[in-house]
Amino acid sequence: MKFSRRDLLVWSAGAAAGLVLTPVPWKLLDDTSIWSQNWPWIPQPTRGPVDVRQSNCTLCPNGCGLRVRMANGYPVGIAAKTNEPLTQGALCPLAFGAHQLNWHPLRLRSVRHRGVDSSFEEARAAFAKACTEGPIVVIDGFPGRASSAILESFGVKKGEYRVVWGAETRALASYEEWSGVPAALGYDLENTRTILSFGAPLLDGWGIPGRFARRWAQSAGSADPDVRLIQVEPSLSRTAARAWQWVTIRPGSDSALAAGIARVLIEERLVAARSPMPPMTLTDAASQTGLDSNAIRELARAIVAQAPVVAIARDCNPAVAALNVVLGAVGARGGIVQKSKSVRSMASAEDAFPSARAVLIDSSVPWEFVPETSAEVFRFAAWDGGSSKADWLLPAPGFLEELTDIPTAPTSGVESYAIAPALAKAPHTTQSGWQFLAAVDPSLDTPEKVIHSRCAELFRNRRGTLHTSEETPLAKIASAEKLEEQLSQGAIWIGEPARRNSFHCELKEWPADSAPASSAEFPAAWSPPVLPPLASKLYEESNLRGTTQGRTA
Amino acid sequence: MKRLMMIFGLGLVVALLAGWVGFPRLLYRQQQQPVAFLHKTHAEKSGVAECSECHSFRDTGSFTGIPPMEKCAGCHSDKLGESAAEAALVDRYVKPGHETPWLVYAQQPANVWFSHAIHIQRGKLKCTECHSNYGESDQVRIYEVNRISGYSRDIWGHSISRLSRAPGDGMKMSDCEDCHRQRHVDAGCLGCHK
Amino acid sequence: MSARYGMVIDLDRCTGCGSCMVACASENNVPSLPHATARTGITPMLVRKVSNGHEGSQQREAFIPILCMHCEEETPCVHVCPQQAVEVDAATGIVMQMPQRCLGCRYCMTACPYHARYFNWSDPKWPKGMETSLNPGVATRMRGVVEKCNLCHSRLHAAQEKAAAVGKREIDPADYVPACVEACPTVAIQFGNLADSNDPVTRESRSANSFRLLAKIGTEPKVYYKSKEAWVRALAEPNSTASGTLHTAASASMEEHHG
Repeated sequence: MKFSRRDLLVWSAGAAAGLVLTPVPWKLLDDTSIWSQNWPWIPQPTRGPVDVRQSNCTLCPNGCGLRVRMANGYPVGIAAKTNEPLTQGALCPLAFGAHQLNWHPLRLRSVRHRGVDSSFEEARAAFAKACTEGPIVVIDGFPGRASSAILESFGVKKGEYRVVWGAETRALASYEEWSGVPAALGYDLENTRTILSFGAPLLDGWGIPGRFARRWAQSAGSADPDVRLIQVEPSLSRTAARAWQWVTIRPGSDSALAAGIARVLIEERLVAARSPMPPMTLTDAASQTGLDSNAIRELARAIVAQAPVVAIARDCNPAVAALNVVLGAVGARGGIVQKSKSVRSMASAEDAFPSARAVLIDSSVPWEFVPETSAEVFRFAAWDGGSSKADWLLPAPGFLEELTDIPTAPTSGVESYAIAPALAKAPHTTQSGWQFLAAVDPSLDTPEKVIHSRCAELFRNRRGTLHTSEETPLAKIASAEKLEEQLSQGAIWIGEPARRNSFHCELKEWPADSAPASSAEFPAAWSPPVLPPLASKLYEESNLRGTTQGRTA
Repeated sequence: MKRLMMIFGLGLVVALLAGWVGFPRLLYRQQQQPVAFLHKTHAEKSGVAECSECHSFRDTGSFTGIPPMEKCAGCHSDKLGESAAEAALVDRYVKPGHETPWLVYAQQPANVWFSHAIHIQRGKLKCTECHSNYGESDQVRIYEVNRISGYSRDIWGHSISRLSRAPGDGMKMSDCEDCHRQRHVDAGCLGCHK
Repeated sequence: MSARYGMVIDLDRCTGCGSCMVACASENNVPSLPHATARTGITPMLVRKVSNGHEGSQQREAFIPILCMHCEEETPCVHVCPQQAVEVDAATGIVMQMPQRCLGCRYCMTACPYHARYFNWSDPKWPKGMETSLNPGVATRMRGVVEKCNLCHSRLHAAQEKAAAVGKREIDPADYVPACVEACPTVAIQFGNLADSNDPVTRESRSANSFRLLAKIGTEPKVYYKSKEAWVRALAEPNSTASGTLHTAASASMEEHHG
């Protein structure tokens, strides 16, 4: 029997009819549609339970408390620690995307020696050799931490320990200088009723971001707010746009305005104490700032109308500091207060160190800081900020990848202490500055040991309160171990409020230096060279802030 | 003519056989669970009688599903018996500290939100209503995965035609909808999707 | 019994920091799109800047967070969707967008009076390893679908599950806090149930200083704004006689986009 073409066609027709009567077409349709929605290259979130752990942000010295949602051992969401007296349960916008920083494309993953891939062994060998040949300078960007104590003990033994101060700390430097003794100072913002801010972005990342913003918010928009924010700035920044009053001056004329205001305050006897008269006349101040003489007079009267008043500069500005002395804000309630008696002065990394054989820069130092030196530079960093003069680029642990502690924030009016546990595993290809040094000098402490002894000391001193969901005076804590355990689980220790009038400084004459004002730029104290990827929502993907000049990607 | 009808019929029969018998066999690939776990044997030997003793709720109300390895390690930190299955569990997963890569029969797409807490505590459903009497099985069930969609055969249901399904056989959206309709519970889209 | 979740956003308190934008993107697994523009980015929460139009030191700005308004009446996007990929959830009042049903016609984007909907022009990508930081409570989307604010439905789910675990039917309001509300450093965004007359948000929404954007078109949005400053309130309606102006870079580009 020959099987012809017609037979084949008839057979196919039968098969087609039969196929329709089977599940094949319908099942294939269903399955292919599912297949087309499950492309393997679209990442899926992990499947697993979510639990919440506490730690602190380490991306600027303010160390805001975090509640971190974790899934499968990795952070998947960030929120503020609520009921925290310092942050008031608020963070800066960058914190919410910070957990993605550890996978930033610019994350440093291997040791590089002058642009060529190398290894920690070679770096250690080179460093050990350098140690035998001359002094080593250790530079720290976030002094006061447990690892800072380790860096310092090495630096002191083998050369020098230097510190990079941020703008917020520099702004407080003049008072310390004029008092003649080292002092840890801060602002008593909780009791201030008028703030004259010279370009300090008080509502946009200055100090502990939530601290002032929360207080300001309570009477925001009112014609007669509880705290009057007067923003002195050449351009309309976020803070100026929402301030009670915006005073627009020519760029760089902050010191002239401070001098002009001080003159009016003294001449019109608007202030009580005797103070040195600034040499600048009101007319000069007016012409330099671009304001009317009358406007400066009005401003001077306005700022003393609702006391206490304090002037806050964005960076070091002796004229603004002198204005605070004239206003009587130094050592006063609502002004500049001393939060700790015991403080050692630390040498700045900006001062030269000509005889150094090698320099070790901790990952907390901002990438923009490049020391003036021809010594061999060992630069620790978690992210690559671009071209670098460092001889060695050493990958450091990233965000929430190592245990650390949080010393008192630079602008805070009270002492504080918190422990920030590691919440994610640091890649094995990274090492901290202190770990690197420990390989050269095994007698060095570890952060765990330093934190342990700090908790013991806090417990011994019996001062201050421990804040969890309640406040417990330290006298009621059972033991140093209990204190350390609570701190590791998210509690924060707050010192006693500064006693009024405990800090004095003398000003014999108006300061001659006038530091140039820097333009307000967000973020204020952020130290990594990259921003969290999701910051693109604020910069590129919207009109809210403008571009980051490539810092997000 | 008769000859043509026979050829037509032949094509019909071949297609029907291919579609009803061959197709299901080809469509699904069979995989073994990493550890040959038998619910019945386990229940008898360990005295664990309730599903909820291993398949439990956390404080947040989320469901542990197939329990994490630390649950097994709670009893099996070392070999308790002689079986090869237990040896595999202890040597390959408990001792090295790896999660056992169980193949999940009821695995739903990532955009599905199913809350065991709501269905069991509020809906008062029994485990067997969706998972049949799997808890009493004394055989290791083969895991069959759909080669095209990547999901387990349990989702479509064992029957390729979806007619005469046993209760609990089939976990597609329409199966959820059928039960919701029967019990007059309107979850909306928001109630089941992420 | 059924809720109507809504918000009152205090524009006096908003400093334009953008925390809500970043927290929203993080919670909802929105990828970072550094090469996007203000028109092609995905920002389910978007803060816009407006000015009072004055010059010099009299100039003031305000910041307006824009998100899906969860319109109740003749919801435009629900009306136009050919796929029924969006619906007003009866139990909560949330306008729930389901990217998995969406076919990407973008008719809803045209219909939305608030420009609160965003299109995935490409498959979402994260740098290698970053997917471990994705929120398990929210599904990722693929290219070709529209997405928008769903009032953090994953947090609602978590609250419902927590309540159900102890046999309760009603959720504890403290358990359901959307990411933007939780993130705002000045507590500018208040979230609550507008169906509950005891809810502080309901009372705020009825205050004299409260207003809604484009209230005249009658979609009954459930997101209210409030401000003590008259120029800000006056911006709510187009063609207002106030001295304020909506002329910002944002609205300029919107005008050129939509004609």
